Amino acid sequence: MTTNSNFLTRNRGILIFFVVMLLAPFLIGLLEGSSPAVVLANEGGLSKFLEGLGIEIFILAIFALSFDLLFGITGLLSFGHAMFFAVAAYLTGIALKTLQLPFWQVTLLVLLAAIVQALLFSIVLPRVKGITFTLVSLGLASVFHIIVMSSDMINLTGADVGLQGVPTPAFINPASERFRFYVIALIFLVATYIFYRRFVASPTGRVCVAIRENEDRAKMLGYSTTTFKVVAMIISSITASIAGMLHALYQPIISPTVADLGFTVTALLIVLIGGVGTLSGAIVGAFGFRLLDFTLRRFLGESASFVTGSVYVIFVLFVPYGIIGTLRLEKLSTRAGWKELFSRIRGNA
Amino acid sequence: MNNILEVQNIHSFINQYHILQNVDFVVPRGSITALLGRNGAGKTTTLKSILGLTSVRQGKVVFDGQEVQGMQPFEIAALGIGFVPEHRAIFRDLSVEENLKIAERNKGELDEKREFIFNLFPDLKRFLHLRGTELSGGQQQMLAIARALVADNHLLLIDEPSEGLAPVIIENMIDVIGQLSKQSTVILVEQNFLVASKLAEYFVIIEEGKSVETGLMKDLEADKAMIQRYLGAA
Repeated sequence: MTTNSNFLTRNRGILIFFVVMLLAPFLIGLLEGSSPAVVLANEGGLSKFLEGLGIEIFILAIFALSFDLLFGITGLLSFGHAMFFAVAAYLTGIALKTLQLPFWQVTLLVLLAAIVQALLFSIVLPRVKGITFTLVSLGLASVFHIIVMSSDMINLTGADVGLQGVPTPAFINPASERFRFYVIALIFLVATYIFYRRFVASPTGRVCVAIRENEDRAKMLGYSTTTFKVVAMIISSITASIAGMLHALYQPIISPTVADLGFTVTALLIVLIGGVGTLSGAIVGAFGFRLLDFTLRRFLGESASFVTGSVYVIFVLFVPYGIIGTLRLEKLSTRAGWKELFSRIRGNA
Repeated sequence: MNNILEVQNIHSFINQYHILQNVDFVVPRGSITALLGRNGAGKTTTLKSILGLTSVRQGKVVFDGQEVQGMQPFEIAALGIGFVPEHRAIFRDLSVEENLKIAERNKGELDEKREFIFNLFPDLKRFLHLRGTELSGGQQQMLAIARALVADNHLLLIDEPSEGLAPVIIENMIDVIGQLSKQSTVILVEQNFLVASKLAEYFVIIEEGKSVETGLMKDLEADKAMIQRYLGAA
């Protein structure tokens, strides 16, 4: 009983978020005159549309959480992070469409690939640090991006057009079972967040924070810092892969843009908006990022990118701690925020 | 074995720079040995070389009869060497308790030593749940030292403990380090000769990356010319 109440107290915020998000489609349905039964039957117009937007946000938030664990908690700025997401997305697509594997085998394959990729990135971890690691990770991901875009791979990946026509299992078909997909994505997001919070509070997580602050100090206490970075990398890779798999199941096309640097920058921006190293900032940032992009594109079309970019620059200049980071501060010092942000990016905060 | 540490003619590099160019000294078990010298002489690099944080390309570092040069820093630390870095190097984002807990090498070490540590540093007990950044400079230094006491360290390397601290806190620090030396051997890097001479029984003077003089602290105190020559203080 006490354990249950502790769990509820510790995770009050995210559980409230879960309930609100779960009820949101029904409330929106009521506003447009659709009964809960209509929403459940995936026949509500606006509620179904907003469920779709919600799914995109949840997937982005899971991906951004995985980025925050590496960058915000452990201090590893990887510019190849999109590779974890993209490999999972393409693997899901190819396994379902070309290999026609059962869904459980696809899931197993994606998880295995996530671990292999994390180990691949980990090979360089003891040798390179800071910005060098950032560039090496970018190099690794660029190789995958080139493979995906290669015309020789067109039958598997769809090259620059993207992978289309992935058969989604009927029980989570986003067209006919949108609400179920929405709930599954929401559960994954909430479970990931709760797991991450527990991980960061655990002794292993505390060592990851210590590594981010000063790796040499952590070594001097007797920690093999590489081992801890590999653990964080594996957890992060698995999480990003789950997001990538959901993306492949939800989107009609797996575009090669998910494999390029721009998609990693998306995760970085989301984390910067929400607050680096705060975890909940990744969720807040994903909402901010997707809703801003959606709204601006609706009114400004293609020129929205320019405005979006300007908003981010202004945001980093004046809110360097991000939304959640600023809310947690007792006193805001923009200059101190820049200093901390840049030292994190350099990798020696 | 009377010497817990033997530093034998070591040469260390930071990138392409040849920083230590023959440092050679021994540290008797149970003693406090002060590494003295001007700014930039190579004192901190000597500590980092012992710990493997700076690569030793020539010479030997023998700790408790075992050669440790070339080993990983975490392996060397795990042999029982605690390091208190300069600039009050605590983990700012962790609480006082987490800073102490993270120094455990075996589960339950902090609980075993809690009383001993809080007797030495009562302030830490009061501020157990504050984050590192919320402590004063003196408290951060106390926490940095306390962290090195959590695990069973036979040798403590303490780098500039009095740097930037008020005189009254320095007095407290001298008292604490004096008490620590009853449990562990201590190597102390200290710019403040008065602090070093109050604590240490042995000294090593490092000048331009070389150990130029070693001996008993009381002999150094009596040799004003040597103090003037190497430390610029009489």
